[in-house]
Amino acid sequence: MAITMADYKGTVKADWCPGCGNYAQLTAIPMALSQLGISPDNAVIVSGIGCSSNMPEYMRAYGFHGIHGRSLPAAQAIKWANKDLTVVAYGGDGDGFNEGTQHFYHCARRNSDITYIVSDNQIFGLTTGQASPTSRIGMKTKTTPDGNIEPPINPLSMALSAGATFVAREFSGDVRHMQETIKKGIQHKGFAFIDVFSPCVTYNKDNTYDFFRERVYRLEDEKHDTTDLIAAFKKAGEWGDRIPTGILYQREAATISDVDPTLKENLIRSPIKKLVPEDIEEFL
Amino acid sequence: MDRNEVIIRVGGAAGEGVQSAGLIIAKVFSRNGLHTLTYNYYQSIIRGGQSWYQIRASKNPVKSQGDDLDILIALNRDALERHTNPRINEGGASPLKGIAIYDSSIGNFDRHEGIKYCEIPLSQIAQKYSKNTLLKNTVAIGAVFGHLAMDFEILAGVIRDQFGGKGQIAELNVDAARDGYNYFAEKYGKADKVLNTSKTRYYLISGGESAGLGAVRNGLKAYFGYPMTPASSIIHYLASHSKSFDVFVKITEDEISAITMAIGANYTGIRAMTGSSGGGFALMTEAVGMAAEMEIPIVIYEAQRAGPSTGLPTKTEQGDLLQVIGASQGDFPKAVFSPRNVKETYYMAGEALNIAEKYQMPVFLMVDLYLAEHYETVDGFDLESDIERGEFAKGDEKDYRRYEFTADGISMRALPGTKNLMHNEDSDEHDEKGDVVSDAVTDPEIRNRIMEKRMRKMETYMKELTPTPTYRMDDAEYAVILWGSTQGVVEEAVDILRNKGIKAGAIEVNKPFPVNPDIKNLVKGKKKVIFVENNYTGQLRRIISSEIQVTGTLVRKYDGECFYPGALASELEKAIKE
Repeated sequence: MAITMADYKGTVKADWCPGCGNYAQLTAIPMALSQLGISPDNAVIVSGIGCSSNMPEYMRAYGFHGIHGRSLPAAQAIKWANKDLTVVAYGGDGDGFNEGTQHFYHCARRNSDITYIVSDNQIFGLTTGQASPTSRIGMKTKTTPDGNIEPPINPLSMALSAGATFVAREFSGDVRHMQETIKKGIQHKGFAFIDVFSPCVTYNKDNTYDFFRERVYRLEDEKHDTTDLIAAFKKAGEWGDRIPTGILYQREAATISDVDPTLKENLIRSPIKKLVPEDIEEFL
Repeated sequence: MDRNEVIIRVGGAAGEGVQSAGLIIAKVFSRNGLHTLTYNYYQSIIRGGQSWYQIRASKNPVKSQGDDLDILIALNRDALERHTNPRINEGGASPLKGIAIYDSSIGNFDRHEGIKYCEIPLSQIAQKYSKNTLLKNTVAIGAVFGHLAMDFEILAGVIRDQFGGKGQIAELNVDAARDGYNYFAEKYGKADKVLNTSKTRYYLISGGESAGLGAVRNGLKAYFGYPMTPASSIIHYLASHSKSFDVFVKITEDEISAITMAIGANYTGIRAMTGSSGGGFALMTEAVGMAAEMEIPIVIYEAQRAGPSTGLPTKTEQGDLLQVIGASQGDFPKAVFSPRNVKETYYMAGEALNIAEKYQMPVFLMVDLYLAEHYETVDGFDLESDIERGEFAKGDEKDYRRYEFTADGISMRALPGTKNLMHNEDSDEHDEKGDVVSDAVTDPEIRNRIMEKRMRKMETYMKELTPTPTYRMDDAEYAVILWGSTQGVVEEAVDILRNKGIKAGAIEVNKPFPVNPDIKNLVKGKKKVIFVENNYTGQLRRIISSEIQVTGTLVRKYDGECFYPGALASELEKAIKE
């Protein structure tokens, strides 16, 4: 029986604010998974803590809703232990680019075979509106009443510099486009990173749907070469009147599971080691 | 050597080959059917400083590194003067009262009475074979066994194994050792008494290796860690055996990642572990609670060293008990194991994996630097696994609830990939199905019920808690309570007291948490209870006195060194007579 989006429909209703960007991802992720024919019993959604990280509660799949900033270590290990599973990590910019920064960097360099989608709303939402690592300079929030003075980090160039093999950006205002990119990300062998502009309608009055709608354009509409790392860095740095979406960069590379001999066979199924006297001979 | 045992110390600077020389000596003993135990005294330095390695061997079981020093190999002048000085007190280690072996090139040094100085042209002999100065250590090792009049071929075999078979380098070392062997025997003569050797071979293994091996025996499939002394011995062992054991080993970006990965791997249904020392474990703290809340099994190997903070990175202490018991916010079920010796570490590693999986809760395997890094002989290991995993849903269960409120608190797991049993495992408080109750509508009643369900696992576990082991307690008037690695030294101290007519016995806590109430019965009617702890505040005493109201005098040591039997016996005697 063909897998449909309905197979991923959870019993708990999402309680994000009306108009929240996360609703687009709650549509796009199940659409991508079902269109790829992945059954929900083989899909694991891993998250940390934040508004967006509540995602696993609202989907019918295997959910791992852990702690703030730590979705990637759990997601990677789940995939290493059982490579039959499709593992999607999902979370916010605070979760991923503050406490999760080093996991993000190392996950990219390892080329772990998971998809990481960040709902990037440039603000802390669940804790009621504080500046996040992607908040623009000057943004006034509860923790930056005189305006944010720290320059935002650039998740795309960070991923590129860490050696990520699939780097993309999407916008919650275009579900269909996002879903296509997520599909490509899931199909990509290795670490696929998709940064999604996902407006927080309650706490971020700067980076609104209109703000992005006026600026975003699709990379595939221009002659962007997704195999050109330098071009990708240039596109990652583009900000202002025009902001690119789509796949910035993609290349083929071995994943850890390809290289580590103990992961050649699926760990979950490989036989348990039976100790024999030869195993302890070295101590004699 | 009137004690039917020998204690040898190799002293030198870091980089002079102290440890490898010590290990060769230890292995020669273990291959001669002698019970052997080693102790490594070293600093956080790659070159220089003063380190030493002590080896004790006997026909009878040896339980600690021992007191009397019979033979010293001094690799430099500083070592020679230091270990022969009667005022030496390196954390309780005794000065030499026997034979000093050293190179003729060492020059002038302070001499002390009662020591037989056996100068040997170690460097000169070594230069016959190689320019590598470390070869003089091999000559010195040869001299030791020439003195002890032990079979040279066994030493030659150990040297060949150490230097990778029968190659040229191995043979040069064998020849150099033979020269040392003969030189000593001819010039200084053999020992008056020879050790009672036999054809038996014992396994010589460290606590860290034993923990790794024991975990593999019970199905370990992945180990995640970050380098930190003294938690590295287990990861070195597993990493070097990764392929033959089919165990995935990953050094992670930090300890937070290490534990979270281990929890993620356990979530899929394989057995995974993590480990660190106190500082690294501090970083793991938050994830311990996550595993408990999500009811995912996790075993954490916690190898203590002297704190606080970076403290004494290469020194031993039992100072992390309260940290481990108190790790992570909120109340949740957990178990803490503290194996008493290398052999018990092997079995307890396997048991920890079983208990963690059966009860879906964090289990700590606590060792310390002393236990993790010292080598001791073991007569054998039961290689058969005894895996107990608990129940798993298969997919045809009607109305499956991941966190079902059961009588024993244990709910059936459904692993990702199981047909039809999709559910959410959440660090937020949740109901039986795994649906969160912390967000839209907080449900105090469900909160109570799921807290009680989780805590019931602790009550269920208490029912299978093994009795606290004891030593000579049957007719004891004085009870000495220890935990973990101090077993051997306390038992030897108890024996010393018994020989003086003082009826002491030991209560040996190898599962410090939850506290076993049987300790209350064990101390009943005793004239005095004494806690022996390698820490400042008596952490076990604090836990036991608060949980079951048993307390006593504290004999403690917090200088970074382990206890020594003679000194400990004196302290215990003082405490008894006070």
